[in-house]
Amino acid sequence: MPERSLEGLRVVEFTDEAGSYCGRLLADLGADVIKVEPPGGGRQRHSPPYYAATGEGVDSSLAFWIQNTSKQSVVLDLDAQAGREAARKLALNADVVIEDNPVVYLADRGLVFDKATTEKPSLVYCSITGFGQTGPHADYAYSDIIGQAMGGLMTLAGEPADPPNMIYGHQADLSASIQAAQGVLLAVLHADATGEGQLVDVSAQEAVQLSQETAMQTWDLQHRNRVRTGEKGSLPVKLPALGNYACKDGYVMCFVVAPAGADFSVLVDWMRERDMIEDLDDEPYKSLCNNLNLGSISQLLTNPAALMPALPALAHIDSVLAAFFASMTATEAYEEGQRRHLLNGIVSTPSDLANNAQLRARDWYRQVPFDYLGGTVEFPGAPYRLSESPVAIGRPPRLGEHTEAVLASLQ
Amino acid sequence: MTKLPLEGLRVGDFSWFGAGPIAGQMLCTFGAEVVRIESETKLDSLRVAQPVRLNPDGSPHTGYNSSGYFNNFNAGKLSMQLNLNTEKGQEIAYRLLEKCDVFLTNFTPRVIEKWNLRYEQIAKVNPRIIAAYAPMQGMDGPHRDFLGFGAVLTPVTGISYMSGFPNRPPIGVGTNYPDYVINPGHTVTAILAALRYRNRTGKGQCIELPQIESVVNALGTAVLDQVANGHSQNRGGNRSAVAAPHGAFRCSDDETSEGSPDRWIAVACRSDAEWAALCDALGAPETAVDPRFATFAARKANEDALEDTVTGLVRERRAEDVMALLQARHIPAGVVQNAQDILDKDEHMRAREYYWYLDHPETGRSAYDGPPMRLSATPGELRAPAPLLGEHTMDVCERIIGLDADEIADLLAESVLI
Repeated sequence: MPERSLEGLRVVEFTDEAGSYCGRLLADLGADVIKVEPPGGGRQRHSPPYYAATGEGVDSSLAFWIQNTSKQSVVLDLDAQAGREAARKLALNADVVIEDNPVVYLADRGLVFDKATTEKPSLVYCSITGFGQTGPHADYAYSDIIGQAMGGLMTLAGEPADPPNMIYGHQADLSASIQAAQGVLLAVLHADATGEGQLVDVSAQEAVQLSQETAMQTWDLQHRNRVRTGEKGSLPVKLPALGNYACKDGYVMCFVVAPAGADFSVLVDWMRERDMIEDLDDEPYKSLCNNLNLGSISQLLTNPAALMPALPALAHIDSVLAAFFASMTATEAYEEGQRRHLLNGIVSTPSDLANNAQLRARDWYRQVPFDYLGGTVEFPGAPYRLSESPVAIGRPPRLGEHTEAVLASLQ
Repeated sequence: MTKLPLEGLRVGDFSWFGAGPIAGQMLCTFGAEVVRIESETKLDSLRVAQPVRLNPDGSPHTGYNSSGYFNNFNAGKLSMQLNLNTEKGQEIAYRLLEKCDVFLTNFTPRVIEKWNLRYEQIAKVNPRIIAAYAPMQGMDGPHRDFLGFGAVLTPVTGISYMSGFPNRPPIGVGTNYPDYVINPGHTVTAILAALRYRNRTGKGQCIELPQIESVVNALGTAVLDQVANGHSQNRGGNRSAVAAPHGAFRCSDDETSEGSPDRWIAVACRSDAEWAALCDALGAPETAVDPRFATFAARKANEDALEDTVTGLVRERRAEDVMALLQARHIPAGVVQNAQDILDKDEHMRAREYYWYLDHPETGRSAYDGPPMRLSATPGELRAPAPLLGEHTMDVCERIIGLDADEIADLLAESVLI
């Protein structure tokens, strides 16, 4: 076994929904990560869905599993003196502490781990909260959807007629954890070089700011707010080969008129081969199809006199296209389209992802051994592959599985 | 002045669009010297993408240097123009890479091969280099050469299918979401881990981050539920399996919110106590004990009515007022903010000075995302605004690569430095 990237790095985390993924990234890279959990477990351990074979329970939550691989679990009651004392010892024994509790929660329990603690000057202390350790909203209550709302993501997503949409998958929590992982590793490199530890302060609201794409710059440079535009997008008319098309079993998202990839005519050739061209080889459709791209469309949009008569023709081309895609599966539309260099993407369902030919061919999914279940459970793989110091995914710990051994090692 | 963690390291940033350049910028912010390789012959389209600075008459400022989209991902970097489609250009790239600690790219394997920038080739010249490749699908496999960028990746990775309301088609999330945090953040995490490994062992290595793998990994429980349980989830809108009410609720309109007057409050009640506190704070304590809503199970069973009721309680109030009322009771609540709110109104964001305002020769004073993590001893800095296209070509040629005036003149004459 080659040495791991983070071999020997000792991490203690007091985390739940917002910070667990940070610890997971470090643990899969080889750090020794001890998760301190409250008696009974935190929110994640009580979140469905559960592993079907074992049923509901604190050791079966998939929400917990996916963000807590390769860690050890120690249960400590931080509301009792003995628990606080053990937590303090654990933290001072570590190189890195990660926590995602409300500001002052740990301090109220006598656990002030930040840099002000002089007992261990090299300690890297990472706090992950909704709004950061300072500022007028530092003590605001936080949950993932609040980070997505206050961070400017929700205002961009959804149909104008609907409430703004949140993005699936606790993306504000996850973003905070990803930014925290980078911050922790930067601080570890600094501590390795100088012996100096520091506080890494991560705010979920700040962590998602970059994901506003261009909304921030649009306000800054043009004093316009980007808003949610829904299925229609930002263009005033529905254009052929731009957007979702329903297939037999799902959707394919097309960007054929975008500047990358093969021209619209390649799509027409494909339709002709399948004998689904209908009347697109006749005028006025033929000329439109031969020159259908964002450039020509932009010109059309600025010239109402030319646009108005073109609209019914564009709508007709779109309906022929819709019938074409409806005749095949989404996977076929995606793979065959991409083979022809047409820019499109399958709207993958979880089942499509499980069967994705690329992910399977690259052996991306991992069979993670669960010794206590007497078998393995298939997990999504790691985000990256390192050639010399590879990532490895170990099973998540059962609640308090390592309490005894870890506390004994502190004696 | 404390040395930044990556000071003394040099990065050859051979990336473009969003995910690659953001990773390069993070390394730059924390001290690395980042040389962004660009060419007018294969222009990063973000350089000409909206939003650009507007002229006083409202027309868009033209040219390669006035896009806020590009500039925000490239602050502090050096821009070198180099035509990698020429043999000479590739030769110069290698003379630069000899002096780099990190190589970064998100071009497709096909382009990497054409430019002779495969890891085996680079490692021969510089075995200590950490070479990070972030193509869309991976360096091998049957979909290796599939085309795409963030807009394609969002549907392909399942984000589109799993997000939004179930009665709507899966239209996506309004942005090329994976480009901005997930992919650059994972890339930087891997590079930093590899740097620590190199510090301990002296060895460089190859990092491969197929964007599809990086994003599907981050898709929460949906994929694990599928592969472990064989259960295919559907999108659930703004609702949660562990909190109710959980969503965005319409408040009173605000015409000062430019082009986006509808205002919404996001709320998450994770317990009966938070629900009771919400009802009390909004002056409807009797609603908390309404049998349709009194327990979590009841609220989930009557969720449509629950959401109508919450909307009724907030519809005539300002979203900011609802947030203040609920937060005073420690209930997770936040305004669905737009960029105007965040840049101009959010007192908290302003107090923490997250956004940096830098003077750029073509866009004037403009906003940049600051570091999304605050390090107390080594906070990082945006040392300069985004570079003009090719602004540092001469500097890099002379100071870093060590070319003399004659060599540079030849390269210019042969159209290598364009």
